[in-house]
Amino acid sequence: MRRVFALAVAGLVTAAASGAEGTSPEPRQWLERMTESLASLQYDGLFIHSAGPQFETMRIVHRTENGRSVERLVSLDGSGREIVRTAEEVHFYMPDRRVVLVEPRSDDGSLLKALPAPGPRLDALYTLELRPGHRLLGRDVRVMDIYPRDAYRYGYRLWLDEATAMPLRSEVLDGHGQAVESIHFTQLQVGDQVDPRQLQPAIDATGFQWIRAGGRAEPRPVAAGWLPRRIPPGFRLVGSRTQAVRGVPIPMQHLIFSDGFASVSVFIEPASEKGPVPPESTSVGSANTYSTQVQGHVVTAVGEVPPETVREIATSLAPVEADPGLTAGPGSPVDR
Amino acid sequence: MTDQIREQISALLDGELPKGEIGLLLRRMERDPGLRRSYESYVLAGEVLRSPGGIVASRGFSARVAAALEDGTSLPESAPVPLDRGSRRWLRPAAGVAVAAGAALAAVLLVRPDPDASARMAGQTQRTPSIRAVLPVGGASPTPEQNQRLAAYLVAHGQYATPIGRRAAWSNALATDPGITRVTIEIPEQR
Repeated sequence: MRRVFALAVAGLVTAAASGAEGTSPEPRQWLERMTESLASLQYDGLFIHSAGPQFETMRIVHRTENGRSVERLVSLDGSGREIVRTAEEVHFYMPDRRVVLVEPRSDDGSLLKALPAPGPRLDALYTLELRPGHRLLGRDVRVMDIYPRDAYRYGYRLWLDEATAMPLRSEVLDGHGQAVESIHFTQLQVGDQVDPRQLQPAIDATGFQWIRAGGRAEPRPVAAGWLPRRIPPGFRLVGSRTQAVRGVPIPMQHLIFSDGFASVSVFIEPASEKGPVPPESTSVGSANTYSTQVQGHVVTAVGEVPPETVREIATSLAPVEADPGLTAGPGSPVDR
Repeated sequence: MTDQIREQISALLDGELPKGEIGLLLRRMERDPGLRRSYESYVLAGEVLRSPGGIVASRGFSARVAAALEDGTSLPESAPVPLDRGSRRWLRPAAGVAVAAGAALAAVLLVRPDPDASARMAGQTQRTPSIRAVLPVGGASPTPEQNQRLAAYLVAHGQYATPIGRRAAWSNALATDPGITRVTIEIPEQR
């Protein structure tokens, strides 16, 4: 089955041709423009988020305040959940649970510096293609196809506004070229001054339980106590942090892996005293998780990558103490 | 518990413990139930102090609170500062728009075990998972606790993704309720 999957990806990649040749500068420049626009422009939009048979209308409001990106993402259907990223924290309102989860905010810049810039390293993993597209929302668009070169990452198709490079539509594609998740804007106002009041949550959180994750959000360059033995090609450990979670008797460790475009988080926490539980996979949209127990700990990998990738990464983790052979030396999957 | 350990836990929670000491402290906590209880007290104290409408504590105050909780002594006098309550907001009701076809349906998860590829990638013998049960479409809703945990993972993960990745992760965190399919995987015995 997996071989079929790999062959399908190979077909997709062949369509992108170029093989070992690098991506021309123009698609990279559009990718950089898109990243810059998402982080720096003011915008307020409605989009349809679809994953499998499920559709949900969401709204995103984005501003920059003192050079920092602040935003609010809200589900207009169903649960009414919201995520508000302030200058200092990320608040996740779950009215269905009467809970607000609070995370210290990460500084966008620090981790991005650790990611590979577009160039040979990214070219070895993805092929980028750019072509004209039909109009969307009354705007001219370019379509960018991002083809993975192997089965360990998803592909993307992005419809980018000619004027601003904002993605008006995006699809995450599996190895068969089928969309596993898509975001399609139905309204988008860009560049207008967004009223800061639109960043306030619509939820009255009176009486909600506020659960705060302690610790600093900035990842450190190298993992504290766990390292991967070997991970899918192109992925690097780019940071780690420890996080205090109420009810968990030992700080949870969070490792961050990236191939420059896709990223995978690994959460390591003590196993339940009730005894081992079998490994488990979960899928929601393009996000896949894999949980397994390793030496008295539950290791959970989460990322917008195929199920195989999170499994490979989760099962490769081992405590450093238990395996002195694990080092962050040359050739290891650790980015120093 | 020594003052040094207290300081280490406090520094860990503040993100200021030198990286060389983190692993050592975590291993010590794994071996020492008393140390774990102390740590939980620190977390609880910090959470209470940072909750909305609470107080802004001076540096190291949470450590002193936790120490007092442990020792059963009264709290030391300190200099907590009342929050500006004018900054708190009580807000308008949520907007609701009904959409979504088949919101109760769950996506089918594809798991593609391939022992050859796994061994090739790992460069070593690994135990290969096999699917024990694929839960049927429309069933297998995770418990609210599992759902909350997954959503929390996605929110934390989204902070370290690219902008496109973050939007996907956070959109999925908002939509986790109906869209999850869970698969339990059996690891065959190796002997």
